Amino acid sequence: MYDLLLLLVLLALGYGFGQYAERRHYRSIVEREARLNALPAIASRYPPAEPHYQHALVTGSTVVSVDYFKRFLAALRNLFGGRVTSYESLLDRARRESLLRMKQQARTLGAVMVFNVKYETASISKGAGKTIGSVEVLAYGTALIPTPSR
Amino acid sequence: MKYRNPQIPEGINTSDRHPLKEFATLAGGAVLLIVALGWLMGQVAGSLAGLLPFEKEMALVPKELLSSDAGPELQAYLDRLADRLGQDMDLPEGMQVRVHFSGNDTFNAFATLGGNILLFRGLVEALPHENALSMLLAHEIAHVLHRDPIVGIGRGAAIRLVTGLLLGSPDLAVLGSAGIYTQLHYSRGMERAADAAALRAVHQRYGHIGGAAELFNILRAERERSGGGEMPAFFSSHPLDLDRLQTITATARQQGWHENGQATPLPAAFNDWMQDAAGRAAIPEGQRQVRSD
Repeated sequence: MYDLLLLLVLLALGYGFGQYAERRHYRSIVEREARLNALPAIASRYPPAEPHYQHALVTGSTVVSVDYFKRFLAALRNLFGGRVTSYESLLDRARRESLLRMKQQARTLGAVMVFNVKYETASISKGAGKTIGSVEVLAYGTALIPTPSR
Repeated sequence: MKYRNPQIPEGINTSDRHPLKEFATLAGGAVLLIVALGWLMGQVAGSLAGLLPFEKEMALVPKELLSSDAGPELQAYLDRLADRLGQDMDLPEGMQVRVHFSGNDTFNAFATLGGNILLFRGLVEALPHENALSMLLAHEIAHVLHRDPIVGIGRGAAIRLVTGLLLGSPDLAVLGSAGIYTQLHYSRGMERAADAAALRAVHQRYGHIGGAAELFNILRAERERSGGGEMPAFFSSHPLDLDRLQTITATARQQGWHENGQATPLPAAFNDWMQDAAGRAAIPEGQRQVRSD
């Protein structure tokens, strides 16, 4: 009985905080994406040769952890199969946040665009039993920084 | 060449389905699944357990359950009563009922594996005459006759296993703990069937069923007295006492049995035997004799 009560409290807490954080995060993401849109991130491996650019590696990394509610929902999904929508929004946020951080770094370096952009993910608590799962999403690319004309 | 990032519309990589809605669907489905699977497994395991030979069942009983606080006279009296009722109820060859008596003042009685019946002083002391005691004994013997303990354990084990597996903490040591032998819960149907068989036996023995109703009245009074909290096995029996009383009346009318009759008194020394058993129960656990028949 107490177990069930504890479960419900944890679920309610997870849902409350999780949803609040998610809404706030999305608002921030959309706003910053609009701001950094002027600095394009391009997947192509071939940067323009002219004019001459200085190159620099830029990275943006985010570690996300799943809240109790999302985790419970995903566990239920394990039973029936289908889209794990509770994780989808979480990872969507992580990807976009990483890209934004990478762009932010590029802007700090004075870059005008980032080329050869790639993503990597790593599970932090892989296989570690009942710990809350965390995932790192890393975005990296080559920043093109205009050299002052001689 | 001009490079730019177009604005990508929201909601492609995510779903706008409300998470609570999804939770309700999934949790509801899971609960349904667990209940359905648990019920199904319980039925299957119960009927399989019923096929286990009675001799094998006797081997499953833990020794510490078999102690008895009854003095020789009380034990002989209870054995005789159980034997006669067993004969009336046509216990099959090889199925033997053994009555154990606990001097504890617990208000309870139950039948467990291997034809072992445990009566507690708290309940037995409250019985006014032999007829009520016979009804109680006959009810427990009927559980043994119907193989209810092993079916109940099989059912419970299967249900625990299924829910455990689905919820991620399977308790595979189902027959390991002695607790389950004393915490048997029978289904409503099992209790009804035991009541009916016991009633028939009591009628056959005494020619009327006067004491039977008395037993349920005492149970009901105790339930009300204790405020209906945690109920021992005999009463957590699902058909409510009132229902059981009505069923008794209905059965008696249908069969043309006498509902009232001369009650057979308990032996004169009965109260002394009770005191004697209570005294034995007070001896610390380790120094008690374990019955080895």
